[in-house]
Amino acid sequence: MKADDIKISGANRAEYWLFVDKDLDSLNYKEHLEDKLKLSVSYKDITLRGVLFLWNPSLSVRKKLNYFDYTATYQKDPVNLLYGRFYTTFGRGLVLNQFLDEDFRNDNSLYGIKGDIKYFNSQLTLLSGQPRNIFFEENEYKIKNDTTDQIRGANFETNLIPKTTLGGRYVRVNRTVDLTPKAFTELYGGNIGLTCGPFESYFEYARQWGCHQVIGGRLKGTGLFFSAGFAITGLGISFQYLDYDTIGFGGPGYRYNEPPTPIKSGISVNRGIDEKGFGGTVVTTPIDMITGEFSYNEVKTDDKRNGVTEGIIKLISHPKDNTELTGGIERIDKDSIELGITEKIEFKPYLDATYDFGWIYVEAGYEHNFISADTSDYYEYAISFAIGKAEAFVLSLRYERRNRIPKWLVNKLGDETNWPMAELSLDLTNRHSLRIRVGAEKGGLVCSGGVCRFEAPFKGVKMVLTSIF
Amino acid sequence: MKKIALIFVLMLVLMVADESASLPDAPGFTLKNADGSEICLDYLLKKGPVLMSFWALWCKMCIKELDALRPYTNGFDSLNITLLAISQDKARSIPQVKPFAKSHKWEYEVLLDPENIMRDLYNVQVMPTFFIIDQNKKIVFTHQGYKPGDEKIIIEKLRELYGQGKKPEE
Repeated sequence: MKADDIKISGANRAEYWLFVDKDLDSLNYKEHLEDKLKLSVSYKDITLRGVLFLWNPSLSVRKKLNYFDYTATYQKDPVNLLYGRFYTTFGRGLVLNQFLDEDFRNDNSLYGIKGDIKYFNSQLTLLSGQPRNIFFEENEYKIKNDTTDQIRGANFETNLIPKTTLGGRYVRVNRTVDLTPKAFTELYGGNIGLTCGPFESYFEYARQWGCHQVIGGRLKGTGLFFSAGFAITGLGISFQYLDYDTIGFGGPGYRYNEPPTPIKSGISVNRGIDEKGFGGTVVTTPIDMITGEFSYNEVKTDDKRNGVTEGIIKLISHPKDNTELTGGIERIDKDSIELGITEKIEFKPYLDATYDFGWIYVEAGYEHNFISADTSDYYEYAISFAIGKAEAFVLSLRYERRNRIPKWLVNKLGDETNWPMAELSLDLTNRHSLRIRVGAEKGGLVCSGGVCRFEAPFKGVKMVLTSIF
Repeated sequence: MKKIALIFVLMLVLMVADESASLPDAPGFTLKNADGSEICLDYLLKKGPVLMSFWALWCKMCIKELDALRPYTNGFDSLNITLLAISQDKARSIPQVKPFAKSHKWEYEVLLDPENIMRDLYNVQVMPTFFIIDQNKKIVFTHQGYKPGDEKIIIEKLRELYGQGKKPEE
């Protein structure tokens, strides 16, 4: 064994917050310390990866979370074997979707064994593992599915027929809460994808055969997802249609599958339980200096009592090489999506301008959000300014204000109406960057990929140091 | 507070120490492109150096970076350089990736990485992150984040590494 054959690489992300907790007075500052160290060692076809995570909040009521995850992989074509913690998605996620969304701090993983074999333009995956969902909500990391559930699954995809993709998949979930040994849950389905010149389409169908927890009895569900696209240079059109009836499977706050939502801002109604919807997006660059994006998406329950409708218009223009103007309008209607609000409409026009002087660039932006929530009408606006230098720094200033606070909002987000914030982002070297943010954030509902969380208002300092080595 | 100081000091020491060390070898990979064909790093490196930019539909600065590099595409071809735009969009967003890339007139090879295997493999912490891989499979340049003007630094680095009189022209 030569030393040169062993390759080591890694990354680290250290994060520190000093803030005023919402339940405490301003003299009592609290801390949040988080570090994620990733190390990878490889020798020929074998790779060992480890992730050391430490979260240490200063509030005694919050339990700290420390863990060490590892993965051992053997990869030699056509075989790939893995033992340890891993992520995987079958098809578009109607049957199984265990993924890591690092930016949203949503970690859906499996711990177990996985094997892939590729042959004749086809791939077979077999896996067995225990799921774990670590989710960050209201300044706290929580394990959402603290269960002994076991997942076993198989996925097959083939491109044997030119311009055609065929797939089939099966997942079985064993739960200790199932009433009888036979009462496990199965999810299965298949897909077909076709490509013809600039056109492509994809259709996936899935079924769930499960059992009602505690009360027993069979539970059946179906899921259907269709997408189509058209792409030529300067023009892209995409369309999606979905119909889910009891296909979402997991627990009250987590899913082992996560069927797609067409809503770009990441909202779903009930994550695959009762949803019907569609979405269409057109993006075009007719001439090099202008790009336009137009999108309309909606998802609703069958009785149309709960739902989200979204419309987006965005234009980006480069009147000169060193100038960029971005303007747009976003409208989102939410029916019984946010807790305690029957109907909420947000209408947000915005404008952003960037000018590059060569040695330095400046950016200025304004957005205005008109909000109507049941009987309350109010608005929020934000003014932002940034100055930056390539490969050096960006200094951003942002001031956000709400004109008045409806009474129902005070209980959720407090009575603050001003949120000034300054952020300095520094490229320390090409491999290390530091971000320091000082000020206030208003909090509220934030969503990604159909998963939403309530983000608590924040007042304090955040520092993030990222490194790759 | 002591723990925080310790972690930050440790990171700074690590930073100064490792800056002089060479960057690691590029891990090999095979990924599907937006048309469904398999693309292998080893195969691309036989032709010339490989550039990689990690991007996603939701990442505004990633899109700005790839838009800013668009005028240099002809220059890349003349130096046998391949630019891979590696999409970190999850399976649910895949239908939108190809139409988006085409609509922005990107002539780059757009690769799909819905399980974010590449993000782990290359230890990507910030989006976008840019890599230059030479034909010896060594990572010779890494850059985290994007600010207007960063594309000129990338082009300058390419001239320094592979220019030899020629340069990626607009």
